[in-house]
Amino acid sequence: MVSNLRNTLEYLAGERDEAPEFLSGRFELVVRCAVWALAILLIYAFCGQSSKFIYIDF
Amino acid sequence: MAWAEIAAYLIFNTFSYYFLFLVPAAALFRVAPQRLRPWIIVLFGGGFFLYFAYGMAGWWGAACLLIFLWESVISRLYRPSSRWCMLGIIQSVVLLGIFKYWNFFTGLIFHHGVNPLRWQGPIKRYQDFLPKLRAEPMGWDGDWERGITRILVGLVKKFAVADLLTAWTDHLNAHDILVADRRILPFWALAYGIKIYTDFSGYSDIAIGSARLFGIRVPENFDWPYGRRNIQRFWQCWHISLTRWLMDYVYIPLGGSRVSKPRIYANIIAVMLVSGLWHGAGLNFVVWGLWHGLLLAGHRFWRQLRPVASNQPQVVLLSRVLTFVLVNAGWPFFCMDLHTAILFYRRLLAG
Repeated sequence: MVSNLRNTLEYLAGERDEAPEFLSGRFELVVRCAVWALAILLIYAFCGQSSKFIYIDF
Repeated sequence: MAWAEIAAYLIFNTFSYYFLFLVPAAALFRVAPQRLRPWIIVLFGGGFFLYFAYGMAGWWGAACLLIFLWESVISRLYRPSSRWCMLGIIQSVVLLGIFKYWNFFTGLIFHHGVNPLRWQGPIKRYQDFLPKLRAEPMGWDGDWERGITRILVGLVKKFAVADLLTAWTDHLNAHDILVADRRILPFWALAYGIKIYTDFSGYSDIAIGSARLFGIRVPENFDWPYGRRNIQRFWQCWHISLTRWLMDYVYIPLGGSRVSKPRIYANIIAVMLVSGLWHGAGLNFVVWGLWHGLLLAGHRFWRQLRPVASNQPQVVLLSRVLTFVLVNAGWPFFCMDLHTAILFYRRLLAG
């Protein structure tokens, strides 16, 4: 179960190419669109705080 | 804050990065014949360096660009293993030392803490990277869909998690530590632990996703490090590219595990001290490296006493929690100067 959850999260985050079985098929496109929409919404909501990346300190 | 200052801080977060460089370069790379693709990379890569290094960072940026161009040209004039090659390496190391560690040494001399210059990120090796650049990319549609997803998720990690936690991590300073209720201190350290993970893994996501737009698959840099059951597994899953680099270029040349037992422990601690100094120029980073070196040495000693790890669910859970706590206990040394970090622990443990 933990492994399935991890695979699903990795797929949704773009890290894994193969969709989990329960997401494959026509549903897959809907899920991909939903991930993009949610991500863009969150980026829009939280961007502009203008803090630098910790690992790039000019 | 002026736009130029913001852009200098946030290259991967700017519209300029995506719409002036990444997307046009990736689109051209896609339609261009194979023989022209390296030139597209050179053109946009050079433009990227010029725009951000010279335009945003002034003389420092110009100096970085000049060093890059100088090395690019001069490295083609000498043979590997020649004296000129050695001279080039020494020159690069000296320049790196000047740019990265100058403040550290002058700070030691004058007892004055200053912010180090830091350049960090997923480390890619020439040997691994070049064949991928030359290979014919497969499945453009999939690459773009996965790449853009990866970039968006990276930006979400950065904006919606890491930046949001700044409200807590900003309290990690001497004044706030002194006046705060000591029960809140572990939460500030924990917030920093989550922030640095989402910040750096988000940065890696953007880098990996950007490469994917060109059909290039860059190795992963994080693999759920906070869920690991011991410190050795943590380091195999945190900043993987750096761990591999340190293993190949520091640990193994020191003799690795093929030396006497005391020497193995010394090698482990030496590697983590190097890791600490790689992360930043300051005594706090040395102590942070030492902390992890001691944890790794302690884990190795424990494994010699108990070669087979228990698979009982309670033990596994406890070991995961313990690893998480120990890793997070080290972050105050990473994010504050040594005096402030010691003050943090004094307040936390002694009130």
